[in-house]
Amino acid sequence: MNTAVRLSSLILICLVAVSCGRQGGSSASADKPFVPKPEKNDNVLRLGNGDEPQALDPHLVAGVMEQNILMSLLEGLTIEDPKTLQPLPGAAERWEISPDETVYTFHLRENGKWSNGDPVTAEDFRFSFERLLSPNLAAEYAYMLHIIKNAKAFNEGRIKNFDEVGVKVKGERTLEITLEAPTAYFLAVQSHFCFFPVHKATILKYGRIDQRDTDWTKPGNFVGNGAFQLVDWKVNEVIRVRPNPHYWDAATVKLSGIEFYPVKQAETEERMFRGGQLDCTSTLPLPKLDTYKKEYPHLLRSDPYLATGYYLFNVTKKPFDDVRVRRAFALTVNRQLICDRILKGGQMPAFFLTPPDTAGFTSRAALTGSLHEARKLLAEAGYPGGQGFPDVELLYNTSENHRIIAEAIQQMWHRDLGVRVSLVNQEWKAYMDTRRKLGFGLCRAGWTADYNDPMTFLDLFVTDGGNNNTGWSSPAYDQAIAEARRTSGSTRLEAFQKAEAILAAELPILTLYHYRTVDLVHPRVQGWYPNQLDHHPYKFVSLKAD
Amino acid sequence: MSTPDTDELEKGTSLGHDAWLRLRKNRLAVAGGLLLVAIALLCLIGPALSPYGYEADNLQLGAAPPSLSHWMGTDYNGRDLFTRVMVGGRVSFAVGLAATAVSLLIGVLYGAIAGYLGGRTDMLLMRIVDILYALPFTIFVILLLTLFGRNFVLLFVAIGAVEWLTMARIVRGQVMGLKKQEFVEACVAIGMSRRRIILRHLVPNTLGPVVVYVTLTVPSVMLLEAFLSFLGLGVQPPMSSWGILIGDGARAMEVNPWLLVFPGLLFSLTLFALNALGDGLRDALDVRGAKD
Repeated sequence: MNTAVRLSSLILICLVAVSCGRQGGSSASADKPFVPKPEKNDNVLRLGNGDEPQALDPHLVAGVMEQNILMSLLEGLTIEDPKTLQPLPGAAERWEISPDETVYTFHLRENGKWSNGDPVTAEDFRFSFERLLSPNLAAEYAYMLHIIKNAKAFNEGRIKNFDEVGVKVKGERTLEITLEAPTAYFLAVQSHFCFFPVHKATILKYGRIDQRDTDWTKPGNFVGNGAFQLVDWKVNEVIRVRPNPHYWDAATVKLSGIEFYPVKQAETEERMFRGGQLDCTSTLPLPKLDTYKKEYPHLLRSDPYLATGYYLFNVTKKPFDDVRVRRAFALTVNRQLICDRILKGGQMPAFFLTPPDTAGFTSRAALTGSLHEARKLLAEAGYPGGQGFPDVELLYNTSENHRIIAEAIQQMWHRDLGVRVSLVNQEWKAYMDTRRKLGFGLCRAGWTADYNDPMTFLDLFVTDGGNNNTGWSSPAYDQAIAEARRTSGSTRLEAFQKAEAILAAELPILTLYHYRTVDLVHPRVQGWYPNQLDHHPYKFVSLKAD
Repeated sequence: MSTPDTDELEKGTSLGHDAWLRLRKNRLAVAGGLLLVAIALLCLIGPALSPYGYEADNLQLGAAPPSLSHWMGTDYNGRDLFTRVMVGGRVSFAVGLAATAVSLLIGVLYGAIAGYLGGRTDMLLMRIVDILYALPFTIFVILLLTLFGRNFVLLFVAIGAVEWLTMARIVRGQVMGLKKQEFVEACVAIGMSRRRIILRHLVPNTLGPVVVYVTLTVPSVMLLEAFLSFLGLGVQPPMSSWGILIGDGARAMEVNPWLLVFPGLLFSLTLFALNALGDGLRDALDVRGAKD
């Protein structure tokens, strides 16, 4: 009985598969290009958002999917221009910068309001920064605020009094921030979620200032100052937001709401898009890319994206404690082939970390060398032809696309170096945990820029950096980054060049490719401009009616 | 002098021979058996004859439809699907065989002993089965993983640990019914040992349901293997198995239907063959139904 059911379902699947194959062929010959018919015409933007967010507390998250949601609910001192990403006035109406570029005075707008009607005050911002920097909150992203004077010392518990930190309330609507050193990207980074304000009264109503995971982010409790407010949060199902009537620029908001769907499987997401259930996807299954390029190019979006994919080496353990082994592994990967034949979305082979032309910076140092050299290095390290090479695991977070790439690279190492690497996949939370504890030999990773500056990439690998995850540490590298933090202009760029040169020589990571966004966007979505961070401030987005 | 005819009648045939004769008459069963052997041989010998390795990729080629050089086409990494199906078949067959062996050896004996002895022994034995049953399988697998790490052998341990449970219950129920029948009483009366009664008289009588259940076990463990591989206990890439190939194929079916059709076809054929053979075996071995 059981078998019969299974058998018939299998046969059915086969039949469906064959008929689908035919359908694909016929639609190509149709006259009008295929456009998914939206399931509902209620002016609500529906987005595929990859996975369930860790939380909706801007001080406790670290991912792209959380950024996508939080930028609808909260607003920093500045917001981004949807096309150029240049800072525009957000919660702050205007600001003054001291001649030495270390003191920023922000003037909050008169009509800035929280979603419960309370005015947005300078004290709210001061409170938020204090919260993020509280040692007890242990926020992953606290290091982003270390550019503020004494913030690092407070975050590390060396200063107990927040008044010593460079954040001062100068009036109900005036906030003065003093920096450690001139920081060119300081205005732009205000639109990153770690600089978002939280409503002081709400936080204190549901817990202490430095208490994690209180109820304040639940629908009904959440108070934000963004263009939208939280309506509904069904775990693993959907997060709904609708326009915030108290928002200072409510007139600009055109959408009637946004729904974020945590769809983990790229195939499911793509199917939902075709069925008109989603307006935008977060990714696209690799095998489908060719079909979309050929038959539905009007639905496909592939834009430059400041992000780099790489593999982390665990340099604390054999065999990757030896730079020769790391170099041999890095040289063997045929990045061009991966970009051309697997990714196919216009990604660029990465021979250094920072994507080319990030705020005018392109690394001079790059990984170069031949396969011959790779084999020689491996032999010198004591593994001629891969003999005696220990068992090594390559860890990746569960995803069809990551697996396809990992299998191809696994073959390259096997074929050209004679080395066997086994693949291990884990779901996101377990993967992040193993990664932080260095429970791997090699580990897939990717970094998306938080702001348009090389610093967002290069400060990853400072000693004990929150996202270093390799165990690697270099005083010269730390020094170069510290120098870049202190200086500006060409001196600063030279410091970055130094850092990239150290990375290219010591190779704590194996850079793979510089990303492009590859996803699907429905033609009815307006104001969804290509930009380097793939940020799309929702108040500028609208839906074209049929 | 007796005629050859009567001579043969008096000679009689053994139970096994009898069953074999009956099985041979069942064409569907024979066809199923032959098909099964053919597929098994293909999986065993095929990869050695194939010009491609199961893991040798060809990124330049990518996913190509079936052709003369790649009979079943290639997957996204350009690996020959035919070779991967044959290699994957080995894993699936090995898992199927292991599950069958465990459920036959442990399950049948365990159930028969519990059923025949009854009383406290039965209580004890069946409560052990209940406890093992109650253990959620996924948690058990994760426990194995954390205790022993990733190991291909653990796949068989995990499957072996659970696959005999149902079998033990089925056989116990059968034996409880059988032991009250006259032939068992006769055996007891003539002083046969318990061991002999169980092995010679009770177990052969339960073969009908046992064979049916085995034919159901094999496909379900082949699917179980795919699930375990996903959790990291079974085969890991670039190794293949039917479960993995079908799983991948189902995802790619709209773009590359051959990736689903061929592994699915072979899997279905194997199950058909197993079912036909199982049906035939049951009919052939059913002593009660065939004593006329």
